[in-house]
Parts: sequence; structure tokens; C-alpha cells
Amino acid sequence: MLDSVVAAETPEGILLEMRPAGISARCCAFIIDWLIRIAVFWAAAIVAGLLGGIGVAFWIILVFVVEWFYPVAFELGRGGATPGKRAMGLRVVMDNGLPITPAASFLRNLLRGADFLPFGYAAAIVSMLVRKDGKRLGDMAAATLVVYLPRPAPKATLDMVTPVAPAYPLSARDQSAVISLAARAPTLTLERLDELAALAASVQGSETRKSDDVTRRVLGVAQWLLGRRA
Amino acid sequence: MTPLHFEALYQPEWAELEAQVKLIFAGKNRQNNDVDPIHGERVALLYRRACEHLALARARAYPRYILDRLDKLTADAHQVIYQRSEFGLGRIKRAFTVDFPRAVRAHAAYVWMSAALFVVPTLLVGWLVYQRPDLMLSVVDPQTAAQFEEMYSDSADSIGSLRTSEDDWVMFGYYIWNNISIAFQCFAAGLFGGVGSMFYLIFNGVLMGAVAGYLTERGLSSTFYSFVVTHAAFELTAIVLSGGVGLRLGHSLISPGRNTRLQSLVIAARDCAVILYGITGMLLIAAAIEAFWSSSRWLPLPVKYSVAGVCWLAVFAYFTFQGRRAR
Repeated sequence: MLDSVVAAETPEGILLEMRPAGISARCCAFIIDWLIRIAVFWAAAIVAGLLGGIGVAFWIILVFVVEWFYPVAFELGRGGATPGKRAMGLRVVMDNGLPITPAASFLRNLLRGADFLPFGYAAAIVSMLVRKDGKRLGDMAAATLVVYLPRPAPKATLDMVTPVAPAYPLSARDQSAVISLAARAPTLTLERLDELAALAASVQGSETRKSDDVTRRVLGVAQWLLGRRA
Repeated sequence: MTPLHFEALYQPEWAELEAQVKLIFAGKNRQNNDVDPIHGERVALLYRRACEHLALARARAYPRYILDRLDKLTADAHQVIYQRSEFGLGRIKRAFTVDFPRAVRAHAAYVWMSAALFVVPTLLVGWLVYQRPDLMLSVVDPQTAAQFEEMYSDSADSIGSLRTSEDDWVMFGYYIWNNISIAFQCFAAGLFGGVGSMFYLIFNGVLMGAVAGYLTERGLSSTFYSFVVTHAAFELTAIVLSGGVGLRLGHSLISPGRNTRLQSLVIAARDCAVILYGITGMLLIAAAIEAFWSSSRWLPLPVKYSVAGVCWLAVFAYFTFQGRRAR
């Protein structure tokens, strides 16, 4: 329920996992982009004011082009994201995980006209809140997704812990849980780490009740499972 | 096999693929042709291997950091291998010489429907307002009506009489903004079952009919028609086309056939994309004509009307004949 991962299957039969961005991240990205556009218009207006009539004309054309095509230009670039989205760690991709195509980018941004209705992007907001993959109307029609850029998980590097053989054979899921605990260890407070390790106390096989010993031995089991031997 | 053993065994292959993908993303294969650092066959092989490794690692519930590395690696390589290139002048040329008119013909039913929704209210309201000019005030408020009348009157402030080239450019910008926005709106609103497109088509039809009927009744027909007739060939056609595309989107939702509604919408949108490129192009032409040609008063009326006739013929011929015999 809480997990919002969307998977796209490739012809090789593996699933590409993508994490769709929710409404808050996308709103922040929108606001950043909006501020950038305002800044551009304002700067251009100063230049246009110096140039007179012809400047005004180019200013109007610039405003039009930027309003409609600012997202298209950036989405088709290498990052696949407007500066606002990039700042929020997002990018736009097709449903199948590939980079966005020009036609899809054009469509999803033209359909802002529908997302805006009846006022203030109301349709887009409702759609993003209702749908698990956070698509607005334009994303649905263009078959695009706004996803978080993947962030690599920390590597389990607790080399100083002595490997401990598990007390009994562990299922693959249990092995993975113990190893993940070891990987998260540097980011946890010691108390929390002890609490979590206590849950897995049975795997380490000794009768000790001292919490640091339990923790050290559970982390040792993780080292053993990873393939280190004493 | 333990995770560390697995990693140690295959890590050189992953590193090699990572390096190749990085080179491809950086676009390095363009510069030095003599020493080509990218080996396509090898990349494809390594990619398939990495996919196998990912499947194995997932099935064996290996640690997250190994899965994440393989996830990222396969996702990047997948993009490199499967991405489609839709850029290039060739494609743009083909879009305008073949794909656009063909797509319009393929959507003929929607286009005619959209044309009817636009033209019937125009003619009807135009005729009504011509008969009873006071009806104009039920369409627009008095100030707007007076503005329209003044715009097309023979006085000095009217269209084109004393406009400088700078003003032409300002109007060009304004027309681009206004017209393309109307057209995009006609299209986008179609997402709501086509009702939005119908609304905007009828709304713009009524407005145009009222203005035309009112000005004709006021005896300003020569200024008005000579102004609008040329660029209307591109502008009105483009608005009708975007309404038609909007209707297609709406229809795909109402009657999805064997697809889900979402699939049906995606297919409709993909089919329509090239028409939207075309519409944008037509509206740019229309705005240029409107700003630099339509407003020039010094041209004799027969010239204006003949050019307009040629434009209308060209537009219809383009949609009827262009791209029929292309491969």
C-alpha cells in the first residue's frame, strides 16, 4: 500500500523499478520553474524597454514561447527535467522507462490547458492525489511518468566486525533483512540499532543478553551472510 | 554463492558496461573516428548479462546495494539500447510533407464534425446579428462592440492605416500568443469527453459570427473581410483542426473499443501529435500574414481577395492531395 514503485518490464524480462513523484515534490518543482520564468520575463522586460517597440514585440513572443515550450525544451535535453524538477531530484520518462519522446513531451505540456481547468491546476491536483503513480491528465495521455532519480543504497562496510555463522539456515528474505540492517547501521542511533538487532537476536546463536554483544553478533551474521569468513 | 563472491565474480563486467554507457551518454563516439571506444556488440552482450545478474540477484535477495547498482546499470543501458531518435530535419520535413496531411485525412470525420460545430454557429449568429444588430450586445458588452467597430472603421486609429513596422511586430507577437492559445485550448479541453472542445468551438464561432454580422450591418464589410479573409485560411482551419483533435481525444475516452480507456487515450494522443505540430506551424503562418499582410491598407482590394483565394485553395489542396503517393 505504502510502496508506490512502478515496474516496467523490458524485453529481457527484467523489471525496471521506478518511484513516481508525488504532488508535493512536483508542486515544489513547479514553483521553482515558475520563479525562474518570472525572472527571465523580468530580465527580458528590462532589455525590451531599452529597445522600444520592436523590443516589446520580441518580449511578447518570448513570453509566449517560454510559457508553452519551457518544459518541452528541458525535458528533451539530456537530464529529461526542467531546472525545478532537477532541483527536486525528479525526471520525466516514458511509462516503459525510456527517455521522453518529443511527441510525448509536446502532448503532456499542451495538455496543461486541460490540467489547469477549471482553475489553478485543479484537475491536475485531483488526478495526482487520486492516482497511485501520481500522473496528471497530460501524463496519462502522453504515457509519461515523473519519477525520482534513483539514489544508491549505502554499502554494508562493517569490516571490523568478526563474522559469525548463523545459528540455523536462513531463508533468502531473512538473509536480506539481516544484511539490510547492517547496511543501515551507520545511519541509525546506537539505541535504535540495538532495538532492531534484538528483534533478530535468535540468528546469532549465543545466550548473551547484553545488547551490544547481541548487536555485534547480529552484524557479524550479516558479514557471514555477505560471504566473509573469520 | 555468497553476495560478495557474486559481486567479485561479475563486477569487472559491470564496470566495463558502466564505462561504455558513460561514454555513450557523453557522446564521445562522434569525435575521434579512428579510435572508436564504443563497441556496440559488446555493449549489447554485457547488457544482457547484467540483466541476468539482476534477475539472479533479485531471486536470491542479495543486498540492496548490489541490486541498486544493477538496477541503475540496466536502466541506463536499457535507455541507450532502446531509445528512439525522433529528431532531425528529415523527420520534420516528412511530418509536413506526408504525415500531417495524412493524419488529417485519417481524422476526416472528426475534422468535419469540428468544422460544423464552428461554422454553423458562426453563420447562424452572424445572420441573426445582421438582422437585429442589438443582439450583438447579448454576445459582448457595449465597450467591446464599440472597440470592434472602431478597429475596422475608416478612422485613423483603425487597423493598418498608419501602423509602423514596429507595431506590425508587436501585433505579430500578440496574434501568435492569442491564436495559438485558443487553438491549444480547443485541443486540451477535449480531454473531458470532447465537451470542452465543443464548448470552445461553439464559443469562438458565436463570437466570430456576431462580430462579422455586426460589422457587415454597420457597412464596414470591405475593411473587415479584406482584413480577415487571407489569414483565416490558416487560422480558422487550424482552430477547426485542433477542435477535431480534441474531439478525437474525447471520443477515445467515451468509446475505447477493446482497449482500456487509458490505452485508448494514449493511442489517440499519439496519433494526433503530428497534427498538433502542423497546427502550430499553420498558426505561425497565420500570425505572420495577419500582422504583415492583412493589415496593409495600400494594397488594392482585388489583390487582397485574389491572394486570399489562392491561400484557401492552397490549404484545401494541401489537405486533399499532399502526401498521398509518398513511400
